[in-house]
Amino acid sequence: MLVQLKNISKWVNSGGQKTFLLKDVDLWVHEGDFISIMGPSGSGKSTLLNIIGMLDNFNEGEYTFLEESVHSLKEKHRANLYKQYIGFVFQAYHLIDELTVKENLEMPLLYKKHSSSERKSLVADMLDRFNIVGKKDLFPSQLSGGQQQLVGIARALIASPKLILADEPTGNLNSKQGDEIMEIFTELNKDGVTIIQVTHSEKNAGYGSRIINLLDGKIE
Amino acid sequence: MFTNYLKIAWRSLLKNKSFTFLNIIGLSIAFGVAILLSMASLFELSYDNFHEYADDVYKIYHSEQNPDGIEATETNAIPFAPALQEDVPGIHKISRYLDDEVLLFYQDKELVIDINWVDPDFFTMFSFPIIEGNTRNPLKKENSIVITQKMATIIFGSTNVIGKTVDFLINGKKQPFTVTGLAKNIPANSSIEFEAVGNFINNPRYEKLKNRWDHSNHEVYIQLQQGMQASQFEKNTRAFTNIRFKDNIEDRKRDGALPDKNGQYIQLHLLPIKDVYFTHYQNGRATVSKVFPYIILGIAALLLFIACVNFMNMSIAKSTARLQEIGMRKSLGAAKKHIFFQFWSESILVFLATLSFGILLSILCLDTFKSLFNTDASFDNTVSLGICIGFILVFMSVTLVAGGYPAFLLSKLGTLQALKGKVQVNGRNKVRDVLMIVQFAIVILLVSGTFVLRGQLQYMKNKDLGFNKEQVISLPLNGKRNSYQVVRLLKETLKSNPNVISITASDNNLGRGRDGSQSTSRLGFDYKDHKVGTHMLVVDHDYLETLDIALLSGRSFDRNFIADSTSVVINEAMARELQEEDPIGKQLEVISDFKHTIIGVMKDYNFKDLNRAIEPMTLFMTNQKQVKYTYIKIAPSTIAHTFDSIKETWQKLEPNATFLGSFLDDNIERTLKKEKTMTTIITSGAAIAITLSCIGLLAISLLVVNQRTKEIGVRKIIGASTVSLLVLLAKDFIKLVIIAFVIMVPIVWWYSNQWLEEYPYRMELSIWVFVSAGVLALSIALITISFGTIKAILQNPVKSLRTE
Repeated sequence: MLVQLKNISKWVNSGGQKTFLLKDVDLWVHEGDFISIMGPSGSGKSTLLNIIGMLDNFNEGEYTFLEESVHSLKEKHRANLYKQYIGFVFQAYHLIDELTVKENLEMPLLYKKHSSSERKSLVADMLDRFNIVGKKDLFPSQLSGGQQQLVGIARALIASPKLILADEPTGNLNSKQGDEIMEIFTELNKDGVTIIQVTHSEKNAGYGSRIINLLDGKIE
Repeated sequence: MFTNYLKIAWRSLLKNKSFTFLNIIGLSIAFGVAILLSMASLFELSYDNFHEYADDVYKIYHSEQNPDGIEATETNAIPFAPALQEDVPGIHKISRYLDDEVLLFYQDKELVIDINWVDPDFFTMFSFPIIEGNTRNPLKKENSIVITQKMATIIFGSTNVIGKTVDFLINGKKQPFTVTGLAKNIPANSSIEFEAVGNFINNPRYEKLKNRWDHSNHEVYIQLQQGMQASQFEKNTRAFTNIRFKDNIEDRKRDGALPDKNGQYIQLHLLPIKDVYFTHYQNGRATVSKVFPYIILGIAALLLFIACVNFMNMSIAKSTARLQEIGMRKSLGAAKKHIFFQFWSESILVFLATLSFGILLSILCLDTFKSLFNTDASFDNTVSLGICIGFILVFMSVTLVAGGYPAFLLSKLGTLQALKGKVQVNGRNKVRDVLMIVQFAIVILLVSGTFVLRGQLQYMKNKDLGFNKEQVISLPLNGKRNSYQVVRLLKETLKSNPNVISITASDNNLGRGRDGSQSTSRLGFDYKDHKVGTHMLVVDHDYLETLDIALLSGRSFDRNFIADSTSVVINEAMARELQEEDPIGKQLEVISDFKHTIIGVMKDYNFKDLNRAIEPMTLFMTNQKQVKYTYIKIAPSTIAHTFDSIKETWQKLEPNATFLGSFLDDNIERTLKKEKTMTTIITSGAAIAITLSCIGLLAISLLVVNQRTKEIGVRKIIGASTVSLLVLLAKDFIKLVIIAFVIMVPIVWWYSNQWLEEYPYRMELSIWVFVSAGVLALSIALITISFGTIKAILQNPVKSLRTE
């Protein structure tokens, strides 16, 4: 079992009342799963994804990641955990504008103390795998949206994580580019990478092996 | 990792060109100016530090109890130093030090040189290295002199001078002196300056005065034995003074002077040589004041502070554009320390670059700076290992605070918060506000300081000094002829010149002439059973008339009265000192068994610097003492022409002496050198502070406008006018300026008052000085803000909204 959420709740206090963002969510993710989370705006999709990614905290419940109980871990250990096992893909790509494609790919490795030659070979592999060798010296602003997201995925994958979390990865792309990204996700899943994606589109959700519907912070 | 940081730092600097530019300009100026100012300050503070035994060497001064207070004197009688050494234990070395001038002959050259007469211990007490000749004890023999390299070139045209002989005119006779030592030129930061020194016993008055305790004319320096405390030594001298100054003390007792708390009427004090430069005498004690160099250092720090505040504010404000990067980095595994070091190293990069520009700037401006600020500071005489280390430490801490604080704030951000670009800005704005208030407070401080200083300087320049300073030329009589003879010849030659109104002479100058010398001549005597003290001046006929000094009663010296050589004219202060309502005809026994008659009372005039009140003055007209300056009053028309013809006449009379004539108002200005330098420094400090603050304000207002573009657009669509938008944007900043003003005014008011207290003649401090400083700061702030905002306000709102 990769991820196990038990009775996870998250709320904010507004005007003396608790407004639940998530309420009693239970979720199991096995290695090799490809899960799509769906639901209308404000249903708590992104919050759930952020909690799984350990970027956000929750108020109640238990979260176990690879037999480690995340809720009792210290900030630093939690950071080490997601650094090692989780890769993020964002709707707005979030590439660093001042760095070239190659340098953007290299960045996660810098925080993990790989040697220079190791970094070079890993970056080269990744450029090769995604067929973007020719773009390695371009800056993000010189790429199309689809290409930028491609770099975003490559960056998420470079440290070989077990789990990819994608928050509406195709949200800013046209349908053709979106299909390509989804194809890539399917390929990755076949290679054994676990993927959780948040999406609005039924079609993209269909690429996944399991669909979770959220409404008002609860799983339907 | 580090190269990655550098790369991204470089690229993000390039991306924000205008901010980078403002930042770099501001910081470079601040660094450059701070380097120059601290150099000037460190130079001042380094005065007399170069002596190897600086910690053990002292100058002696006396505190003497008078009926009307305590008086300090530095001058001593010739037998004083030997007696002190004999009577009081603890003296390792001692040297008398007499400032003098002497006429020197070498081959066909004749020139007046400054000479100092010292005891042989002088060169072992002080570290003035002798580079050639007898390096240990060059003044062992009589009739030997040591000269500096500079003087050697003046006299001999070379520095190969050991064993050469020159003649001095001493007591009317030529006496040969042999050069036994060549001293290295005196460092610029030495309060003891000499070009030539001779053995004390060779000084012209030595034989006559060597056993006289009632005639003081020189300073005494001592070096204490190891382990002897200065305070202990001072205590030990009490018995000595009570015996050696017995008569003097008796007189004081009779006049009703009160002893000090130890029962002493005369107390010797030791003044550390390192403090000599910073000392002035107040209430009979040496007061050491290093305020001036510290003010300069303070201004340097303030300017640096302003620039750092700018840097911090800009970094924080700019960082909103990089929140996503921070969030992204964190989600990719960057820890707090990574973020912190990344942003800090970016700051260090900027600081290093600006530091190099600053150093470059200071090197380029060094010469201008030196002449503008009247300092001899240079890299050679201020840069040392300790100062370099100190400088690096200051630099590191500045980058740590100014670069580290924003880095720290950014590293603290939560990942998700940063990714969403949402940041709680309240807390940080408070810091920014406080920093800006301090920044404007500094500007207001320096601007009002400028106004106060300028006002006082102007006041002193324009003050009526009681004599005519515009039309009178003062001319030092530095030739070899008898001075009375020169004056007579000048009078005869210039009589035919219709533009020369009258000529007189005296033995002291008014203000500071081009010969640079200023001296004081005082005497004390008994009058009707109390002791009186007065300045004395030997004058020639027409002194009052030439200088337009008003006569209140009696008459001036007159050629028709032969007995005028025993007459004196006194000023109002002297009349008060004598406690006489009508002093005319009263007799003064200045010298025992010889009476001078008061023939006139003149109005008080400022014969001393303007930072001193007018003291008693007595004018004598005796041929016994030579006059040293002649005063020539000329007609107000064709001033330059008359000046030239006087110069010509002088050169005919004294072909070997330099013409050093100058107008009295120039002489007075020369005495205001300290105030002028201070004014220049504060004014430039204020100007730079304003520039730097403007840069910061401009940057911040641009950023604020950027952040509020959408708000501006919406407000405009709803119907806000341009003016109301400007008010909206400027309001926040103006508030800060006003707060700074309110905080600063009482402080500046108080401090200005303190400073002006030192001047007996001072301008009225009016509230308008401060109001105008505040208004100036406010309007500069407004103009700066308008620069950034008006463009945004005038923009078509559709455009600003579309970008959202």
